[in-house]
Amino acid sequence: MRLSFRINFFLIFICGAVVALSFSPFFSLFKQVVVASNPSVLKKVFSSSSTILAIKTTLIVSLTTVLLSTLIAIPLGWIFSRSDLKGRESWKTLFSLPYAIPPYIGAIAWIMLANPTNGILNNLFGLSFNIYTLTGLIWVMSSFFYTFILLNITNLLSQMDPSLEEAARLSGAGPFRVFREITLPLIRPGLISGMVLVFLSSSASFGVPALIGGPGRIFLLTTKIYTYQKMGSFMGINYASILSIVLFFVAIISLVINSFLLRKNSFGVVSGKSSRANLFALKKKAPLIQVILFIGLFVLLILPIFGILLSALAKVQGVVSLNNLTFQNFYKVFFEISEFSVAVKNSLMVASAVASLSVLVGFFVVYAQQKTRIKFLKMTDLFISLPYATPGTVLSLALILAFSGRIFGIISLYNTIALIGIAYFIKYLSFSVRALQSSIVQIDNSLLEAAQVSGAGFIKRIFSIWLPLLKPALISSWFLVFMPCVSELTMTILLTGPGLETLGTLLFQLQNYGDASGGGAAVLGLIIITMVLFINYFVKFISKGKYGL
Amino acid sequence: MSTVEFKHIKKSYGDVEVVKGFDLRVNDGEFVSFLGPSGCGKTTCLRMIAGLEENTSGELYIGGELVSSPEQKVYISPEQRNVGMVFQSYAVWPHMNVFNNIAYPLKIQKVLKRDIKSRVEEIMDVVELSGLGERMPNQLSGGQQQRVALARGLVASPRVLLLDEPLSNLDAKLRDKMRIDIRDIQQKLGFTCVYVTHDQLEAFTMSDRILIMNQGVVQQVGTPEEIRQNPANEFVREFIKKSH
Repeated sequence: MRLSFRINFFLIFICGAVVALSFSPFFSLFKQVVVASNPSVLKKVFSSSSTILAIKTTLIVSLTTVLLSTLIAIPLGWIFSRSDLKGRESWKTLFSLPYAIPPYIGAIAWIMLANPTNGILNNLFGLSFNIYTLTGLIWVMSSFFYTFILLNITNLLSQMDPSLEEAARLSGAGPFRVFREITLPLIRPGLISGMVLVFLSSSASFGVPALIGGPGRIFLLTTKIYTYQKMGSFMGINYASILSIVLFFVAIISLVINSFLLRKNSFGVVSGKSSRANLFALKKKAPLIQVILFIGLFVLLILPIFGILLSALAKVQGVVSLNNLTFQNFYKVFFEISEFSVAVKNSLMVASAVASLSVLVGFFVVYAQQKTRIKFLKMTDLFISLPYATPGTVLSLALILAFSGRIFGIISLYNTIALIGIAYFIKYLSFSVRALQSSIVQIDNSLLEAAQVSGAGFIKRIFSIWLPLLKPALISSWFLVFMPCVSELTMTILLTGPGLETLGTLLFQLQNYGDASGGGAAVLGLIIITMVLFINYFVKFISKGKYGL
Repeated sequence: MSTVEFKHIKKSYGDVEVVKGFDLRVNDGEFVSFLGPSGCGKTTCLRMIAGLEENTSGELYIGGELVSSPEQKVYISPEQRNVGMVFQSYAVWPHMNVFNNIAYPLKIQKVLKRDIKSRVEEIMDVVELSGLGERMPNQLSGGQQQRVALARGLVASPRVLLLDEPLSNLDAKLRDKMRIDIRDIQQKLGFTCVYVTHDQLEAFTMSDRILIMNQGVVQQVGTPEEIRQNPANEFVREFIKKSH
């Protein structure tokens, strides 16, 4: 399609601005590290036993989380997409829900349930769980991150040509053997990507290790960087920057390994038509599997939500009885904690502004990539994905370095809500771009050319062709960005300050400091859970099941 | 090799009856085609023989053995039926080379390695794939993949070979050659064969007998000659007219 020079220039400008904005923090971070890292500082950082321990713990926790998540996800994936289990679609939705809930809420829930002093499970059943341990940390992470693998493999399994597995059955292979020798090798690419994503997310996770590792004196790279940065000193920033580079390379290396493994393991197994999957009959085992699934769901979802609910309604934390129920925690959060209204306002405002901007910019970026002949604009994809793959802690620190100096000698963005917005925008732009890419590619050029021939200009075409056709995709992608922003913690915690509270940071403060009688964090947790589940349902409805769980 | 026998076989999905009861006996070494427009239930019949679908009522025998009868609570699973099948999409496993694809049924039967090699090479010779054992499926043409699927279906000497529209993804020239080749191989090895197609030419040139189906109801069963001479009803007359 031929576009005028003016429009091409506009599209190039938008893409250029996105690339510059995404790239500048990395530039600043590397500059800082190059300046800071004289041999003595480097020696100091890397000879410190606590630094080495943080690196080791990060790797151990992340790898174990990958392993545990895989063990949870594979059997579930098989049951949901290959067995004849009754209600498997609903089971799948329920087991996928943790995907939408921020993991730090799980951390709070499990602290309520299993902390050594007054954990509900310990009080009720005389157990002695201690969540403030490495095992506790790995458990909470896995109980969320398994959904990445689950969604990846169920998606692949539902698109796979069922004859591939049927042919194996007719060759005489039983269900287990078909899975091991045919299905598993064929879904390996999706499985590997899912596992790498879990590794990236665990190593970049901040909320869970901060809330659980803090009391347990367990430090990961993210929490170590946070501690250094909060020291506020020049030395602290230097140390934090150097560790950020380490964490950044952990992420980059795992992505390189991912693309290497994918090249070796990819097969085209998507059939296009997804004909009826030949379902394996569970027969007599079906009731047993239903019971196991229920127990699994109870432990992974129902119990934590129950823990949060109980904590939000408790007069005294950890006590389970009817007279202990009260709404005073809600009253306290809504009316007595003055930061609450600020946090709600900030979160909603920044999240909606960023979501709107992401959809707008995302649209023009995808438009430029797909509907113009300017080849190099396709490269913008890399600069949009890079910040998403970068651990939030690293990205935040880089943004502080990039924007705390005076821009054009006028203003510093450090300690402003704008910097938080920029962080969200850079990190989550890829969500709206991905969603729009898959929808815009389906709009045939002839539809636009027909409009152009009919006399519609660029603006007219946007309003009469693009917007109506893309409406569900635009709304979905708006919420896909809004959702992670409204509950963001990892990046915000480094960028926040007095008056800049968000739902995530307020919850973190209530849980870790203040709030002597407890329950406040649980109230906020409940609000966030309700919000994300509601949005998820709405997105699923509006996109007719394409997005949402 | 052996027989396939349908007795009052019916199949429903919920309230929709897609195969309305019929009887048929496919004799040992016979080539029978199920012919009909798409959605007529012919593929469902084939998948019921394979055990990939379970009939809702009636009895199904392979080689005289009862393999499925809901009334008698008998259902032998696909992997225990010892039938071969060639799928429309070939279903050649992309992660195995040609040799391993074809050898798979024998490996499952725990045939000795030595014997696997000779049997696979023998069948590769029959389907004209000799020398391609090391190739990966993505290095093969559509016709060659089809031959891999055929060899895999035959290698373990199944009781019956089932073919589900095997030629529909090939180009016209290749289709003509494969039509003749499949029939020649069947005549040479003498296996029992059930072939599903919507193409009259395929059915009339390859089969010993043809079963014509429409909307789940069997319209006529007979040799190509019988059907051409005496179409049982208006549907059959109209349907086969198009091929001449």
